[in-house]
Amino acid sequence: MSQAVIAVNNLNKTVPTAAGDLIILDDVNLEVEKGEAVAIVGSSGSGKTTLLGILAGLDSATSGSVRLMEAQLSDMDEEERAIARGKYTGFIFQSFQLLMSLTARENVMLPAELRGDEQAESQALELLEKVGLDSRLNHYPNQLSGGEQQRVAIARAFASRPEIMFADEPTGNLDTKTGSLVTELLFDLNREFGTTLVLVTHDAGLASRCDRTISIASGRVVL
Amino acid sequence: MNWRLVSRLAWRDLRSGEIALLIVALMVAVGTVTSISLFVDRLKQALILESATFLAADRQISGSREIPREFLDQARLMDLETAETLVFPSMVFSGDRNQLVSVKAVDSFYPLRGELIAGDQPFQRGFVAQTVPQPGFVWLDARLFPSLGVQIGDEVEVGLATLKVSKVLVSEPDRGGSFFDLGPRLLMNVLDVPATEVVQPGSRLSYRLLLKGDEADLEQLKENLELKPNYRWVSVKESSPRIGSALDRAESFLLLGGLLAVLLAGVAVALSANRYARRHMDHVGVLKTLGATPKQIWVGFLNILLFVGLISVLLGLFFGVSLHILIVELLASLIPVELPAPGARPLVLGAITGLICALSFAMPAFIHLRNISPMRVLRRDLDISPASRLLSYGAAILGSLTLLVWYTESLFLTFWSLLGIVSVLVFFGLVAVVLLRGTGIAGMQAKSGWRLALAGLQRRKNENIAQMLIFGLAIMLLLVLVLIRTSLIAEWEAQVPKDAPNHFLMNINANEVESIGQLIRTRASKANEIYPMIRGRVNQVNEVEAKEWQKNLERPYEGVRISSERNLTWLERLPENNEIVSGEWWNPQSTESLVSLEEEYANDLGLSLGDRIVFDIGGKLVETKVASIRRLEWESMSPNFFIIFSPASLSDFSATYMTSFFLEKEDKRFLNDILSQHPTTTVIEIDALIEQVQKIVGQVTQAVELVMFLVLFSGCLVLLASIQASRDTRIAELALVRALGGTKKLIGGSLFVEFLLLGTMAGVVAVVGAEMTVALLQAQIFDLSFNLHPWLWLLGPVAGGLIITLVGYFGSRGLLDAPPMNVLRGA
Repeated sequence: MSQAVIAVNNLNKTVPTAAGDLIILDDVNLEVEKGEAVAIVGSSGSGKTTLLGILAGLDSATSGSVRLMEAQLSDMDEEERAIARGKYTGFIFQSFQLLMSLTARENVMLPAELRGDEQAESQALELLEKVGLDSRLNHYPNQLSGGEQQRVAIARAFASRPEIMFADEPTGNLDTKTGSLVTELLFDLNREFGTTLVLVTHDAGLASRCDRTISIASGRVVL
Repeated sequence: MNWRLVSRLAWRDLRSGEIALLIVALMVAVGTVTSISLFVDRLKQALILESATFLAADRQISGSREIPREFLDQARLMDLETAETLVFPSMVFSGDRNQLVSVKAVDSFYPLRGELIAGDQPFQRGFVAQTVPQPGFVWLDARLFPSLGVQIGDEVEVGLATLKVSKVLVSEPDRGGSFFDLGPRLLMNVLDVPATEVVQPGSRLSYRLLLKGDEADLEQLKENLELKPNYRWVSVKESSPRIGSALDRAESFLLLGGLLAVLLAGVAVALSANRYARRHMDHVGVLKTLGATPKQIWVGFLNILLFVGLISVLLGLFFGVSLHILIVELLASLIPVELPAPGARPLVLGAITGLICALSFAMPAFIHLRNISPMRVLRRDLDISPASRLLSYGAAILGSLTLLVWYTESLFLTFWSLLGIVSVLVFFGLVAVVLLRGTGIAGMQAKSGWRLALAGLQRRKNENIAQMLIFGLAIMLLLVLVLIRTSLIAEWEAQVPKDAPNHFLMNINANEVESIGQLIRTRASKANEIYPMIRGRVNQVNEVEAKEWQKNLERPYEGVRISSERNLTWLERLPENNEIVSGEWWNPQSTESLVSLEEEYANDLGLSLGDRIVFDIGGKLVETKVASIRRLEWESMSPNFFIIFSPASLSDFSATYMTSFFLEKEDKRFLNDILSQHPTTTVIEIDALIEQVQKIVGQVTQAVELVMFLVLFSGCLVLLASIQASRDTRIAELALVRALGGTKKLIGGSLFVEFLLLGTMAGVVAVVGAEMTVALLQAQIFDLSFNLHPWLWLLGPVAGGLIITLVGYFGSRGLLDAPPMNVLRGA
């Protein structure tokens, strides 16, 4: 029996425009195995971010099927997809996406609080210690450097105990040195928690750290 | 989202100032409505109380027959205060002198409202009397002392009773009403009436039961009593058309003022809620990626809104109460009446307004958040679907309608106001597009600072059109208020001029007309024509008995009574302040027997052009035909007649004559000269009545000015809110300009020009809108004629440019002072 945590069959995504339907993804088929680290690469406008969004249940496909763990995302509405996201996924973004009005600790507590988990705070403290920010618990994002903000974002992503971690250009906003440190942290935690990793990147170095690379060009998977 | 997370997010937003604008806008909505409502409510109560003094009570039941005991018992059972009066004309004798007076007999509870002013010497200032005349005593009008040749302590004869003069009657609260209430007054105790023996079958008597108490109880009593057809229920509006008309207009205006303030506040709430929601789109995107469902987002932000709403309502109520106290304190010396304590209604009104504003103006922006795509965390250009925008406008319109109908309690006023606003918005949109295109063409030749400003206007074209609509609407509402206020006050002042006739002279014999005319012309001013007058009643209409005719009407006893005896006159020319609304005025030489009727009188009695009416004048029947229907200006204070005959109709009857003239207070002794030379004439003094009308107009004017001030205040806040709404876009633009080497001076200058142009253009469209709306309001509500206001075409753009530049520059000052790095980070 397949160990695939993500299975995509005949996935298509089109958007209507004034000039007719624009094809973003064209008949994409792929599988990601449990514990695997996969990099999605491609030029700007190739459709890689859209693919990541659909795999993570942030967006819906026009046709085709997408399975995420036991969740058949392509048959779900937004309410059900949100529950699936909360249950299976974590996210790391290029622009960190921290809530500026909450402290580092409160940002990391968010996923557990949304689930109604009473252990939200102790879990957040543990994770912030793992990313080396136990001394900056009560700092607001604008009081942290870019690298520190991304570490808070990583801690928050792992706070939901995800099966699959999605990352969109996680080092894109960081300098080379900080980017390397963040990459190390991401892969270390990925190993520690046994998480499957799917990331989109332009960074060849980062892509080479992954087990497999999927290239996208003009909405199609290039073999 | 659990409550802890919601309260944390709300509290942090509050602390960071993110939510401050929304709170201020809601607070202003609640505060403005509360303060207007508190002040207007108290002023209205005061006006009603003040007006109630015209009746000396809250209500009266009047009739020509004795008031049944059953009425009195029922009123007392409902805990209403009561007093009884009886008015009748009678001759008073003192030695060889006599005078026709209007006797008013009162019980010890009189008056229930207002004050009875008495004095110890004629023609001197009096004092508030604590009692009415005791049995055996009378109080006389100052003028009766010289005409009867009596002094305090002398005796006079009323019918068969001899009564002692104990005081001078300076004024009584309910001296308004019909002419026969207004003769030189003799006030006596009702217990002395039987001894006079003047009350006989056929006497002309006016019995009144005065009532005072809770409004609901009074209305209940009205329902319980079987008044028709012998007794009449009288409230202040019915008792005096002049006061009724003034109060109605005041009410319309104050309601309109309140309504404008609410609309402005609603716009401010919507703007700041949209800004708040827009700034939280990314938050929602992140929360959704973390597993928050649309329902959780919806409930979470609804709770935040309720939290914000609660704080705003509490602050707004406090603000409203404080503002209203400040206004009352500031104007204490200008408000001549004592304001009654406020009720809870204005506070409830303010709180519910806050809730409705939050739900209809702010909620849609929050509902939108539910629909934010989680993909926004990856692609920030994703916005909201158009369908949910439709919902938000729908909710705002529904909320506005609810508030409008609730405040105005008039679908008519709501309809016309909305029609005005919608037409103006459509029109504004078109004009704004044209004006913005103009700036695009001008921008090609303009120099750097100007070009930047013009480019700014072009770049945010949609946003600027929307802002021009908002600014234009706010300025338009203010201009409408200024225009309506000016027209209203000008009309009032014109209708109750300071030298309006304030005395009527009646019972002039035909042989006295010339000499009296001469006397009045030399000693008084604003003398009117001398009108013939004769008493008569309608006997038949179109060959149907008058009483039968009234019974057959749709609402037989709602208006005037057809068979009541009335003052009739005959004239060659249409009098001043009369306007023919249908039919034609007769040729003076016409030999036909014609009659002209007052519009409301004709409507109430179902009479129309061509109807044949038979009048009973002193037992002689006169047949006439209705030739015209007239509209009267009741505020004019001139002699007004319901029924005017053509000269040919009454040429065979001998009549007495009447006229009116203006007399200064210090010239009152002239009345004695007239009465000594023409002792059979009767003088009716209505100067006190006019003074009271002018006092009410004065109070209403002040209330109107206050409402305008409050609307202006909330209008400025809307401007600030809309500038704040575009703040984020401006930060991004300034960052770009500064990155490209733009100096602070250049940016400051371009902002100045941009706001100046925006304000001026908004001013132009506001003037057009104001003229349109005012034309509609004047025609439909205030019954005024349409005219253009050239000065407005200068004032609108100048005021628009000035206000928006000042407020805009003030609102953007922080952006200019911020360090470039902060600007780049969007902090």
